Amino acid sequence: MAGASTPRVVLGQLALLIPVGSDTYAVSLETVREVVVDPRVTKLPTSPAVVRGVFNLRGDIVPLLDTGLLLGLRPVMEEPYAVLVETPHGTAGLVATDMPLTVRLNESVGHSDIEGTTETYLVADARLAVALDIPVLLSPGRISQ
Amino acid sequence: MSPQESLSENDFQRLFAMEAEGRLDTLVDELLELEKGGATPEVVASLFREAHTIKGGAAVVGMPHVARVAHALEDLLEEVRRERRGVDTALIDAVLAGVDAIRTLIPLAVAGQEHEKVAFDAEQRLRIAVGGPPVVDDKAAAGPDVTAPAAAPGATPSVRASAAPDVTVPAPSAAAPPPVAPAAPPPAPAREHHAGDGSVEAHGAADGAAGHAEPARATATEMLQIPVHRIDELVRLIGEASAATLRLGSALLERLERDPSGLTEYRDLVRSLNELQELALHARMIPVMSLAPRLRRAVRDLARETGKEVRFETRGDDAEIDRGVLERLADPLLHLVRNAVDHGVESADERRQKGKPAEGTIRLHAMQLGSEVVIAVSDDGRGIDVARVRETAGRTDRSAIEMDDEAALYLIFRSGLTTATKVTGVSGRGVGLDAVRASLNAVRGRIEVRSDPGMGTEFRIAVPITMATLRCLVIKAGGQAFAIPLHSVRAVLPSQPSATVGGRAMTMLDGRPVPISSLSAVLGTGNGAVGPAVVLAGLTRSHAFTVDDLVDQRDVVVKGLGELVPRLPAVAGAGVQPDGSILLVLEAAGLIERARRMDNGDRSQEAAGGGGHEEPVPHRAASILVVDDALTVRELQRSIFENAGYRVRVAVNGEEALAEISHERPDLVLTDVQMPRMDGFELTEAIRKQPSLASLPVIILTSRGSDEDRRRGLECGADGYIVKSGFDQSALLSAVERLLGEDR
Repeated sequence: MAGASTPRVVLGQLALLIPVGSDTYAVSLETVREVVVDPRVTKLPTSPAVVRGVFNLRGDIVPLLDTGLLLGLRPVMEEPYAVLVETPHGTAGLVATDMPLTVRLNESVGHSDIEGTTETYLVADARLAVALDIPVLLSPGRISQ
Repeated sequence: MSPQESLSENDFQRLFAMEAEGRLDTLVDELLELEKGGATPEVVASLFREAHTIKGGAAVVGMPHVARVAHALEDLLEEVRRERRGVDTALIDAVLAGVDAIRTLIPLAVAGQEHEKVAFDAEQRLRIAVGGPPVVDDKAAAGPDVTAPAAAPGATPSVRASAAPDVTVPAPSAAAPPPVAPAAPPPAPAREHHAGDGSVEAHGAADGAAGHAEPARATATEMLQIPVHRIDELVRLIGEASAATLRLGSALLERLERDPSGLTEYRDLVRSLNELQELALHARMIPVMSLAPRLRRAVRDLARETGKEVRFETRGDDAEIDRGVLERLADPLLHLVRNAVDHGVESADERRQKGKPAEGTIRLHAMQLGSEVVIAVSDDGRGIDVARVRETAGRTDRSAIEMDDEAALYLIFRSGLTTATKVTGVSGRGVGLDAVRASLNAVRGRIEVRSDPGMGTEFRIAVPITMATLRCLVIKAGGQAFAIPLHSVRAVLPSQPSATVGGRAMTMLDGRPVPISSLSAVLGTGNGAVGPAVVLAGLTRSHAFTVDDLVDQRDVVVKGLGELVPRLPAVAGAGVQPDGSILLVLEAAGLIERARRMDNGDRSQEAAGGGGHEEPVPHRAASILVVDDALTVRELQRSIFENAGYRVRVAVNGEEALAEISHERPDLVLTDVQMPRMDGFELTEAIRKQPSLASLPVIILTSRGSDEDRRRGLECGADGYIVKSGFDQSALLSAVERLLGEDR
């Protein structure tokens, strides 16, 4: 399946931390294509709320997704950063509300029960980061729900 | 800004061209049957009917030369039908020459040209052939000497060579015979698209890279076999060049503050790139029917496996589509035809008991409508048992039980739903239709289903021909700019007041009421707008939308939104603009559907709230049943009446019309005369025999203008008799209005 070939976050690996409101998420750096500052988003009428719109990435049209709503949590209020991740179904942007940072992960401190996430890690400043399971989180079926 | 004005008329001409192509194929097939000695009354009657239908359609869409040749063809076949003339080589040749002439004249007429001499020569030849030999003993007439092509014009051997059932004479200009010997199939370029099915059936010779309209069929030396990946690479590079040009434009603007659209050199570059892109995309187009051999094979194998008798027919050989899009359609279409054999068509015994022919028919019909190709897969089987679908779905979803028939029918696309009582190797596993829908979503296609219990089922797939450049009207609504493909814009109206009729806001276009909504309200991005209104035409309906402002017209390279964005029926795609912004391209059919649903929702809410104010007497839209076996005529009439605010249902012959009437009585019936199974006279008589229908107005619309027919029409109880050659929209509408006025 698609998930088998897509890198997940593991111990000692480089990960990108995505701040969303007061929460922090982590994605394997290998799945991240780039981070776009202040993406120019075109709203997509009639789409589900999780799709905040689309933006132009050097001629490609990329959807920007609300990271909070994707996890079944509160929607984000603004979209200062877009973290571009590669999925088996194409590239998508995840909203980050603060500057994303790269870290090397320590040992997992526990399993996360939120659907679409895997483990919880302790990162700098005594913050907890929940690792995202990109293939599960960004499946077309889940987005259209 | 000028919206396309005569678009709808030309659309109908093109629709007719496609339909006629299919009918001409049938005609040639049956003619060869006749030549082989199969001069049964059914074959002769069917030949006559095909010619007759082509004549009627041609008259309706304004192709008088085509109508003239078809008329001569009809007269000649009428002689055979009345057994006043036998079948011989001269007859076959004359008819084939007539078919060739029609094939030459139709594309000319679509292009707005005429060719008097072609029509005259063919007509003369057909008229001369009427004076052929008398009917002789059937068997003798079918002797071997008849099949010898003799000194026939080239058309004869070429057609004979393609007598395999799904082989068609390449469209649209088969007038010139192929320069190669008919025994060997011409070299077929881009052959890989119908490889893989093990089928050895030959296919339309002009398919593949060079298969677009050409004055005469290309000879072998004019064709070049090119690997598809090279064309794909070409398209990709042109796409990149276009994108780079757009970036160059925005760099000019940002760094040098020069507006690139003011530079002739820049405009020339953009124009050349657009043309190049169009040509390259066209090179990737292949006929939809290149899938036919694979589907035919699947039908034949499965029919044998299930012990059923099934015939597979194809129509619309000249409909072309981007190779990439067609590849994605192969599996969904395979699913649909296999379902039709397994679920739709009954066993021969069951069919006989129901009074149907033992052999079931599955049809694959493709046609181009605007920027879309519509592909229909229909069968004449048992239809979908909606009650069972509802019951099965209701076991897991209580809301299904409440659904009306139409909504319940669409439950078949849900994952895991099957009503088949036993699982076969083919279907009944509850996978398939949901996968079909998912595959179509990937190419921004949509699927509709219609089913009549006992009569059959039709699935209609509509997919964009390509994700190519579209000429668009750019408007602003709710503060956001949107592009609307120009081919779906019927008119642009200045800001004007609308009236409320039956709870629905309406405006007027060409003296006819058209529903009107605010675009931003329909899109959920704002409330009303007081600007101009854009009237959009969907597949069957028109609807006006008020916008904030009109911006301009421009070419948009339309891209999909990717697999991660769910399919949005109101959005066709998006284009990247020179300034780097994204312009969304709207989809007329999806918008109209959304506006209608919102409108209906508003009205049912109003009704539920018991609306404190007196509405003017709600005038229920009168319903008209259009009965015609010709698709073009049916769709033309549907469009005329729906635009005039009527509800329209259609039936393809008298029998189907009676079934429709017993299901729900229409307010008026408009019928053709010549139709298979039950003609218009018989239908009118059958209606008049039922006391409850005695007052149901019936209008006969026909291309037969003879006094005898007119008398017969009125004798059997028709209220009106309109001849198609004198066909005039306003005359038809006023006749209908007059009759409905008397009735109501």
